[in-house]
Amino acid sequence: MTRIFLVVATVISAAYALWPLPTDFSTGTAALTLASDFHIDISAIPNPPQDLLDAISRTKGYLQTDQLEALVVDRGASYNQSLQNASSLVSLVLSYDSGVAGEPTSISEEAIDDIDSRVEGYTLTVPEDGSAATIKANSTLGLFRGLTTFGQLWYDLNNTTYTIEAPIAITDSPVFPYRGFMLDTSRNYFPVSDILRTLDAMSWVKMTTFHWHMVDSQSFPLEVPEFPELSLNGAYGPSLVYSTNDVQTIVSYANARGIDVLPEIDTPGHTAIIAQAYPEHVACPGATPWATYANEPPAGQLRFANANTTNFTASLISSVSARFPGKYFSTGGDELNTECYAIDESTQADLNTTGKTLEQALDTFTQTVQSVLEDSGKTPVVWEEMVLDFNLTLSNNTIVMVWISSADAAAVADKGFRLVQAPSDYFYLDCGAGGWVGANPSGNSWCDPFKTWQYAYSFDPVANLTDAQAKLVIGGEHLLWTEQSHASNLDSIVWPRAAASAELFWSGPGGNIKNSVFPDVPRLHDVAFRMTQRGVGAIALQPLWCALRPGVCDLTA
Amino acid sequence: MPRFITAIVLALSAIPCCLSIWPIPRSLDSGNQILKLSGSFDISINFTNPPQDLLDAVTRTKYSIQTDQLGRLTVGRGSSDSTAFGSAKTLRTLMLALEQSASTAQPIATEAVVALDARDEGYSLSVPLDGSAGVVSANTTLGLLRGLSTFEQLWYTYDGTIYTNYAPLTIVNDSPAYAYRGFMLDTARNFFSVSDIKRTLDAMYLVKINTFHWHITDSQSWPIQVVQFPELAQAGAYSTNQSYTPSDIQDVVTYAGDRGIDVLVEIDTPGHTAIIGASHPEYVACYLSDWITFASEPPAGQLRLADASVTNFTAAVLAAVAETLPSTMFSTGGDELNTACYAADGPTQMMLNESGRTLFEALDIFTSATHGALHALGKTAVVWEEMVLEYNTTTLRNDTIVMVWISSDDAAAVVQRGYRIVHAPSNYFYLDCGAGDPIGNDPTGNSWCDPFKTWQESYTFNPLANISSAQVSLVLGGEQLLWTEQSGPENLDSIVWPRAASSAEIFWTGDTLPDGFDRVGNISEALPRLHDVRYRMVQRGIKAIRLQPEWCALRPQMCDE
Repeated sequence: MTRIFLVVATVISAAYALWPLPTDFSTGTAALTLASDFHIDISAIPNPPQDLLDAISRTKGYLQTDQLEALVVDRGASYNQSLQNASSLVSLVLSYDSGVAGEPTSISEEAIDDIDSRVEGYTLTVPEDGSAATIKANSTLGLFRGLTTFGQLWYDLNNTTYTIEAPIAITDSPVFPYRGFMLDTSRNYFPVSDILRTLDAMSWVKMTTFHWHMVDSQSFPLEVPEFPELSLNGAYGPSLVYSTNDVQTIVSYANARGIDVLPEIDTPGHTAIIAQAYPEHVACPGATPWATYANEPPAGQLRFANANTTNFTASLISSVSARFPGKYFSTGGDELNTECYAIDESTQADLNTTGKTLEQALDTFTQTVQSVLEDSGKTPVVWEEMVLDFNLTLSNNTIVMVWISSADAAAVADKGFRLVQAPSDYFYLDCGAGGWVGANPSGNSWCDPFKTWQYAYSFDPVANLTDAQAKLVIGGEHLLWTEQSHASNLDSIVWPRAAASAELFWSGPGGNIKNSVFPDVPRLHDVAFRMTQRGVGAIALQPLWCALRPGVCDLTA
Repeated sequence: MPRFITAIVLALSAIPCCLSIWPIPRSLDSGNQILKLSGSFDISINFTNPPQDLLDAVTRTKYSIQTDQLGRLTVGRGSSDSTAFGSAKTLRTLMLALEQSASTAQPIATEAVVALDARDEGYSLSVPLDGSAGVVSANTTLGLLRGLSTFEQLWYTYDGTIYTNYAPLTIVNDSPAYAYRGFMLDTARNFFSVSDIKRTLDAMYLVKINTFHWHITDSQSWPIQVVQFPELAQAGAYSTNQSYTPSDIQDVVTYAGDRGIDVLVEIDTPGHTAIIGASHPEYVACYLSDWITFASEPPAGQLRLADASVTNFTAAVLAAVAETLPSTMFSTGGDELNTACYAADGPTQMMLNESGRTLFEALDIFTSATHGALHALGKTAVVWEEMVLEYNTTTLRNDTIVMVWISSDDAAAVVQRGYRIVHAPSNYFYLDCGAGDPIGNDPTGNSWCDPFKTWQESYTFNPLANISSAQVSLVLGGEQLLWTEQSGPENLDSIVWPRAASSAEIFWTGDTLPDGFDRVGNISEALPRLHDVRYRMVQRGIKAIRLQPEWCALRPQMCDE
């Protein structure tokens, strides 16, 4: 009894509600309320960018509407007395550090900077005496990250917005620049509003990259004005297409929230649907049994040995990438099935004519496609097979996504490429929900079991890497492949689990689940409950009984 | 090669591809021609003074047919059907006919709570090709309701035309293979609003599930307001807003009854009761003690079952809840009793010493008292399997219904003792399994009942495995269950639907498809129908998840292994 009481008593601490955890912070024990005329002061910022003004008004909106009660048994009622006597915070002052001169750049511009030159750090102070709180940064993006943190400090009790941890001092910046979430919009389609809601949730946990796996073998939901037949024939329906306008909306929305959009057109595999518009470019379309010719139905891959197909693909990639302001573009490259090409007479004829092996033809194809990207100033991103399974000529600048296993990171780093950690054994959100191919009664998912948030959180991004190789790790991402997902379970399958990698790559590895100094379950409850208040359907991680009693439902309680 | 093909042809069911009905009727003769629904379509009733809930059901069916707006799951979503619209006939009327004297017609809600062995859900349905009136006939209004749920599933919409492509269709005497087809929801680990429950009842109705097993309380919270014991919810609900008032309970019961669903409420005792300690600490042993030693999950705390005043209190609470409910069944739980908790509890040890009883002897007396209170109200007690298999309870009445949950392997042992059973095996029907461990600081924690129970795995469950033919009648049916440590309103629909439809078909259709083929052996026949009912649920506002990419859903069998 006594022991439990002690556990409860040690963890009622608002700073622990921050997610991702700041790299350096201190908090006090004083109550502080938010004044009814609270405002955010940007008088120190000349010509503030519009997206900063928008971020400020969103922040003020959340302070009004979050209405989140503290996750303690009495939901904060016992703070009532100290809130009566507390000082009141009237203003938050945003300013650039002294080094920043000239016209400020916008969040949107800074969000799509080269990944190694983005500046996201900030300092935040909240004095206990009611004098102005401050956020300072060297960049507008940094000010935005500070606003996000500020928005997580507050609870509601009978319409009083308060913290009980003033004064607060935070100095914060991320350990890894790439902190992403991948969504597959091809296996099943997601309306634009679902993507925008997801971008909001990503920004609340300071993610920087929306990896958009736009198309795959099942559907082509992207309008490409130069190749309109692709979506006309390949989308699930006329209303299930991302128009050029939709893409603009998504990119602007993301960038304004500090998120770069990394589009992916997966090639040369995962392209069966292109046969609906351009059958001449696709080998083994719909070949059966599909399991021989593809990892999942339907079979069909681009005839990369064919010069016309190569040029078509390069034009397609060029057309799509031109509509994205980001500097990164993924051409995919996973799960190439060689049986498909072995039965494709057209490919065999092309190989005979040119005297190339399949791998040599793939090299030519890849170089052509990648050079189109590099000529327009883009950095190519590929899946790991392009480095590990094939001997291809890739630009040294290429970024490689490790997905098959976390054990493959070292081999990629060994070849000198920068890499993003996207390992199926830690970060695949779809795993563990059963096999989805039909007629398979005992089928479990290929990547069982379910990846719990705790397991993902225990990932070490630099395991088995030398110090030099560790520098090649630019970050990581959670991923949702959507064979069994849709708008109906998007939020519940992604949140709050995907927040685990957001913290891992912001705060650095080693966040200790077992150490009661950093009771991460309560913090993750907090961010999940706040997401729910903001309209994202994050799931319960535990019974509410546990959420209100930090540590009591631990295995060691 | 030819031999192989022949073998496949012999093994495959002849049910027309993509016939949509779920659960599939036990008798079915359907065509493949188009029949349109008239813009002035109406449902008529052939007897006077029909009960109001039947009229309401008719209104809902007409509304659903108009608003489902479901495109048939085929490439083109029905465009190929539209070429036949011009020559197709139009259905103007569906007649509901009672096969017994109309003066005995009871409300659906009354028939939905008739004792399981006397409940009559059978119906016949005919939909002629020539546009003459369709007919649903049944002995009971409950049977008529089941016929309506079948009828609703026949219709698609293409370009404003509502039509079926299964005409003519005849179903003769479709009735369930098992009387109990349920779904269990735990509203104690996390709270669910009345509207969440009602939406779930709507989905249950669509697949003819007839029992809502409401695991209403547990150690974490007490969300039911009991008039005679207001302190229980005052101290034990997560908040006033997260508790069910007496009128909320009646609202749920009425809504369920109107949809042919019996509400089986469970107040789990004597374990899973820590939260009673929030208002009656004197009644609870090892209250909030080390949960790893004293409970299966936090918080620890169990009723002091050896204490006569606790026994009386418990019987009174159960009676107070049960007397407000129309069901003939009430569950007193009885799972996962932790004996270490009582061994460490001074008052319990003292009372056992004074009375000279063992713990299980005391449990026998406790159970006899609580079940006696229910019996006095005309209720049949329902318990979890441990009450029979582990605690040597000797005072259970012969008519007690036992829920088998720990493993499907335990069913035979319960049946051998002569008790009726409901299959609720964790290894087939637990919807929460496979999503990790809700325990806090456990980086590698997977759920105790890994892996995830796919709909396919559930669908292969055999209710009669190891049951002798003489004991078959003891198998009442089964249910899928959602324990909600990691669920809330946010993922209720997506974790339950369409998976929970698996058991709905097992226990309605039985092991044989209407054409005589083996149901489980033709699982690839089931998937397109399950897609269909899933898409229809989505049209009705139930957020059932996708089972496959839409590419596969539109192309039956093409994504089979």
